[in-house]
Amino acid sequence: MNNGHATPLITSVCYVRLAVSELHGSARFMSDIFGLQRVADQDGEIAFRSDHRYRTVSLGSHESVGIEVWDDEALETVGKRLRDLGFAVKDAEPAECRRRYVQSALLAEDASKNRIDLVVRPSHSGRRYFPSRDAGIVQFHSVGLRTTDHVRDMAFWKAIGAGVSDWVGDIAYLRIDGMHHRIALYPSKRNGLLYAAFEVEALDQIMQNSYFMQESQIRIVQGPGREAASRQIFLHVEGPDGLILSYVNGMAEYGDKPRLARQFPLTATSLCDWGSESSDVPELSAPV
Amino acid sequence: MIQLKDVSYVRLGSPDLESAENFAIACLGLQIAERGKKELYLRSDDRAHTLCYSEGDARSQAVGFEVEDEASLQEAASTLESLGHAVHAGTAQEAEQRKVRTFIGFRDPTGNHIELVVRPERSGRRYFASRDAGITGFSHIGLNSTDPARDERFWTQVCNARVSDRIGDIPLMRVNAIHHTIALVRAPSAGIQHINHQVESSDDVLRSYYFLNEKRVPIVFGPGRHPTSGARFLYFRGPDGMIFEYSVGVVEIADEATHRPRQFGFEPTSFCMWGAKPAGMTLPNN
Repeated sequence: MNNGHATPLITSVCYVRLAVSELHGSARFMSDIFGLQRVADQDGEIAFRSDHRYRTVSLGSHESVGIEVWDDEALETVGKRLRDLGFAVKDAEPAECRRRYVQSALLAEDASKNRIDLVVRPSHSGRRYFPSRDAGIVQFHSVGLRTTDHVRDMAFWKAIGAGVSDWVGDIAYLRIDGMHHRIALYPSKRNGLLYAAFEVEALDQIMQNSYFMQESQIRIVQGPGREAASRQIFLHVEGPDGLILSYVNGMAEYGDKPRLARQFPLTATSLCDWGSESSDVPELSAPV
Repeated sequence: MIQLKDVSYVRLGSPDLESAENFAIACLGLQIAERGKKELYLRSDDRAHTLCYSEGDARSQAVGFEVEDEASLQEAASTLESLGHAVHAGTAQEAEQRKVRTFIGFRDPTGNHIELVVRPERSGRRYFASRDAGITGFSHIGLNSTDPARDERFWTQVCNARVSDRIGDIPLMRVNAIHHTIALVRAPSAGIQHINHQVESSDDVLRSYYFLNEKRVPIVFGPGRHPTSGARFLYFRGPDGMIFEYSVGVVEIADEATHRPRQFGFEPTSFCMWGAKPAGMTLPNN
């Protein structure tokens, strides 16, 4: 995974910036319903915390996913690799870095035109995370991305140091640290973020949030369910502008020894061991 | 004092044995041990049977509890008689029907038909379910009570039951280390309120939730988690209106000597800490 380096090139998925049509209504959803902590309102973006980091979610008019890179040297390496493969990569201006709460960054695009920010030194907070609602969130955990060109997008992620843990059909679970996956690529007719997932303490919080959403009349897109490959329990909730926000818990660790990525068929039981189904999100559904 | 060791079986009358069998096999996930002309024996663990349907009135129900030996059984009979409970000494044929060595029958103060049994049969073959519900065994019952305080006294003073926790005035009582084997439920008349089977993991609870939904089995409460016993649960309705429960993770009372029953308020969160609300099943005090 380290590609010959003593240290990994990338270390985490550190934020998502979401484009929303109704900034303030969406912000209320994030804090009052989903349970994030609102921290800042700067340059037209509202920032939220979910853990020790200064912010992990921003609402505004631009969408991008932040990937934390080890240091500036690693940033140079990944930039060169991506350019060599023909991907669009540009250095971030100071204003763009400030907007992202990072020290330096490369702004890249995968083959599906998903904006991927490769960032160094994202801001942490000295204060502990204190949300407005007890949703039991522990940390921002992972993202699901739509891909319209999964061969080229796989090349993008492999170039910056991700590895495939398992496949469900052509859905790829990508590993960048000790966990089964932090990024999942879902073949789709369009691009964009499919979901942003937040780890909660235990099954208890997944279920409490499930009943909370039902009572709040928030649509549950899928779940409670359990991914067969990663053993992760999930609850996919419909957030602002159709974006999916997820509570997750119990993902398997990848383990110390490398192993072959396992292929699961694209069936309902591969997507959810328990039997939950998503009726109207094609990326989360198996063909019948 | 009558020393109950464990709950042993439930006997249920049913006017329609075929429906009962279909449900037990296709939905609940038990194993047919024996199919008689008028009786259906079902297994859920290494015992020869833990549930028996016999053709007849659905109101005819009995719960069997195991006691140590014949001497304990005789002692229990005299205790009950001295307290004014009519005791029926099981005949050899009746004992055979129950797959036990000997037994006596009586009614608890509410009028529930209780049987005390000696040497219930085990099976040499392991339990092999008809569907993979993850059942590990028959574990407890909810028992109707017309007067929970009076019945608590019966179970704890005449028998060896101990209160593990209370929700309102409803006691959850244990006869061994398991948090509860008998849960009293306030009701207008005698009857078994629910029958619990333990499953392997919370995965099984959730899997069954989706499975039973698909089979159009009415889910009456859950998936949820009891803050009292810690168990994750699912209640659903079977033949003749009987409620069955799957649960996992019931705590054991480690320190018998120092355990103090906790008092929970009579409110929905005392029954489910996740926020599930009963649907088509009344909470025990109503």
